[in-house]
Amino acid sequence: MTAGYVLRKVAQSIVTIAAIILLLFVMFRAMPGSPDRAIRNPHFTQQQQEDLRARYGLDRPLIPDQLVVYIESTLSGDLGYSIKYAGRPVIEVVAEAAGPTVLLLGIAEVLAIVIGMALGSIAGWHRGGWVDRLGGGLALVFYSMPYFVVGMPLIIVFAAGLGWFPTSGMTTPGGSSDPVTWLLDLGRHLVLPVTAVTLGLLGAYSILMRSSIIDTRTEDYVTTARAKGLADGRILRTHAFPNAMLPMVTQIAINLGWVVGGAITAEVVFNWPGIGTLTVAALDRRDYPLLQGIFLLVAVSVVLFNLLADLVYGYLDPRVRS
Amino acid sequence: MQIRQSRAARLGASLVLAAAALVPAVAPVAAADPVVLRVGTTQDLDSSNPFNTYLVVGYEAFQLTWDLLVGFDKDAKPAPGFADSWTRDADRITFHIRDGMQWSDGQPATSADACYSWGLALDAIKAESYVGYGYLDPGVKDAGVTKIECPDASTMVVSTTDQSDRIFQVYVPILPKHVYGAFDYVKIADDSDKKFDAPLIGTGPYTLAEWKTGQYARFVRNPHYWGPQGFEDEVVIQFFGNSDTMVQALKSGEIDYARGVNAEQFRQLSSDPSYVAVQGKANGWTQLAFNTYGTGTGKEIKGGGPSTKALLDPAFRDALGYAVDRQALVDKVLGGYGDTGDTIVPPVLSEWHVTPDKPRTFDIEVAKQKLADAGYVLDGSGKRLDKEGQPITLRLYMPNSDDNYPKAAQFIKAWYGQLGIEVITKVMDSAALGSIILPSDGKAKYDIELWGWAGNPDPNALLQIFRCDAIDSTSDSQYCNKDYDALYDLQLTQAGAERQATLAQMQNLIYNEAPYDILFYDANLDVYRTDRFAGWQNQPADGTPLFTYGTQGYTLLTDATAQPEPTEAPSAAPSTPEPGATAAPATPAPTPAASGDGSGDGGKLGGSSLLIVGGIAAVVAVAFIALVISRRDRKPDEDDE
Repeated sequence: MTAGYVLRKVAQSIVTIAAIILLLFVMFRAMPGSPDRAIRNPHFTQQQQEDLRARYGLDRPLIPDQLVVYIESTLSGDLGYSIKYAGRPVIEVVAEAAGPTVLLLGIAEVLAIVIGMALGSIAGWHRGGWVDRLGGGLALVFYSMPYFVVGMPLIIVFAAGLGWFPTSGMTTPGGSSDPVTWLLDLGRHLVLPVTAVTLGLLGAYSILMRSSIIDTRTEDYVTTARAKGLADGRILRTHAFPNAMLPMVTQIAINLGWVVGGAITAEVVFNWPGIGTLTVAALDRRDYPLLQGIFLLVAVSVVLFNLLADLVYGYLDPRVRS
Repeated sequence: MQIRQSRAARLGASLVLAAAALVPAVAPVAAADPVVLRVGTTQDLDSSNPFNTYLVVGYEAFQLTWDLLVGFDKDAKPAPGFADSWTRDADRITFHIRDGMQWSDGQPATSADACYSWGLALDAIKAESYVGYGYLDPGVKDAGVTKIECPDASTMVVSTTDQSDRIFQVYVPILPKHVYGAFDYVKIADDSDKKFDAPLIGTGPYTLAEWKTGQYARFVRNPHYWGPQGFEDEVVIQFFGNSDTMVQALKSGEIDYARGVNAEQFRQLSSDPSYVAVQGKANGWTQLAFNTYGTGTGKEIKGGGPSTKALLDPAFRDALGYAVDRQALVDKVLGGYGDTGDTIVPPVLSEWHVTPDKPRTFDIEVAKQKLADAGYVLDGSGKRLDKEGQPITLRLYMPNSDDNYPKAAQFIKAWYGQLGIEVITKVMDSAALGSIILPSDGKAKYDIELWGWAGNPDPNALLQIFRCDAIDSTSDSQYCNKDYDALYDLQLTQAGAERQATLAQMQNLIYNEAPYDILFYDANLDVYRTDRFAGWQNQPADGTPLFTYGTQGYTLLTDATAQPEPTEAPSAAPSTPEPGATAAPATPAPTPAASGDGSGDGGKLGGSSLLIVGGIAAVVAVAFIALVISRRDRKPDEDDE
């Protein structure tokens, strides 16, 4: 991989992030409504309305004043203060929500990748077999369902019905501070949301893997391997699988980039205190600084993982570098 | 190959182990020692600073931690709070601060704390400003407070300009001066220094110990609380993103109390003896606010305002009132849980509410006749014309914050349609609608707003919305009437029967002039379990046990398992509200067939839940059968491969 290739990709990413920073400013302010209008207080006077606008810095002209302040502070790493969570720094609020989201989506992504690839490989290798029909069919069904459609029955059966797992939340309020007990508690809270998100995600991986494996089945090297008398399972593992992985790299990188964005419907259903629920809360309150913070985090993450995908791809496949 | 197999085997074994470690841990994880009352709500706490919250859950949180000077008893009447007694001498009220009271950190609580806290509000009022979001200080202003003095540690003297009871309904939490004394009314609302981060110091029954944004707030017993305490050692208020999950948590026993379920959930849980479902009258309403911009002022907005001058005509609005079947809205939109609307003081404020002298009853023909009499005739194609000869088409906007709004709008659209008036409905979020209704911001480009308001123990907050000076801030009808403003000012100086008479006049004035069509008075639908806690008390009798005025409900709870009537508990827990609340004519009979349970543990899978699970099982079964059949059909192909 040449240094020129790497530099080009990094430069592209920086330009993209700069454009996103600008876009975020315009995007949220172009939405109808404003944070000072989200409060419905029968006592409010005109003076209070104006003061509130001033408090949020909305009384100054959008361009250049608000824009300049926004760009200056964003570049210096200051994302401002949340409006909804009065006075709390955006970085703090976002950081608090990012952990739970990365935990939930991270585990679910890994599980979905592993199970999805295994399912896809077997389904593709034994096309028309029972794994292909049952697994492929179910994966497609879950893939097309929103998380809450998968999540609610899980809650009804396994939480409210059988009582095996908690219905929602991340930890039991006031739970033990003992690390082992705390981890077990967290684990119990994770099971249902992770299951719902994994089910939702694994379809994409298994479908891609299946078609990729099917393509490799007819390749000459596979025929050669068969002619050599290698066992079927071994051909799949050592010859077909590694070659079928290439398109998966892009898919995985793009999906990992979105991990910090959370899964809004899953988080809302399971009351998971992540970026998804935070986004809903911030939108509702027109919390511009918080929205900007969230979207900036997500955008930067997506761009970085795409950059990573480009670099890894360039490494894996020499044709891309040219 | 062998190595790989053993690795896989190890992985499998460790997964099984991990799962085994998780599943048996079903027993409560928290140490069983503290008794925890768990309360669910669909609101998300926005701030632990009492001046910076505008949500009901925020009020609940700060009232658990801090006392008001005067609290509320079971009938929501004044009761001892931070002050244990008071005497009134014309316009001077002398409050006695409880002797020996301590803050939760053990420091003495004295009148200096009360003077400091009320002083924050009074300083803001004197500076023609407000504290935080401006929700709490208007109480001090409304009570006509001019001066506060604390001559000694147990005495606080308040001077007022009027003799109303509003002085006993002031929602200002008494904060510890030894903690916040350095902050004035501006700095107290600035949270950037994290002064209100848990743990907080209060004199209330519980103090906020932990707040996890978007998850829960945990309150621990205040060891120095002056009053009787509840059975629970801790109170946890959990925030839910939706009521479905909250109801499931109630069924699984993770929470004891659910605030604000929907009508269907309420109906289902009502018929299950494991729960008590309470329909509390809400201090608020849902209304149609007509855009009457220009009424009383003659002003116009270039490129904005109502789409027809007909909306400025009381006769037109009066006629529309006959086309709305409020009982049908209560039955079909609220599922029967609520009351039909009329005047601008909700019936829950029974001391002040009056029914209209000239009530409008639903009759489309009367509405048509009244429109014709007022000069609004039909054209050849059946369209109603305004006096300028234009067909009347009304823009009805509503926020997306309540599922009932779009449902109600469809009924309105159909009824107005029968009058020859077309209605275009649009749902938007609250912030967007909040902008549109302001003349200075959104040019008031709407005709009807369908939304709601919630008030205080005193009706003043709701009455203010109709003042001329509320235009461009809280007015959503843009209505202005100098007579109304004069009556408002007059009632501020009155008390008792005099004030009642003035308020009756104001309620009738607005009803007759009809800038508002109050569709219904909403109900708070709460459900609680009876297996762990007893002693639930509605406040007032037609209210709910929690999320009311003050926090008395939390201090009355007892241990349900200690009661010597284990089998009779369900019968002592009526599925309909207490006698006071059953007066609501709209309470439908519970549907006995709704729950398909009967299992000993309370039948956790309710009717609709079973339907969902059954439906999914059916889909999976059908898919499986289809798969088997298709596989059988394809068998020969596979053999060819």
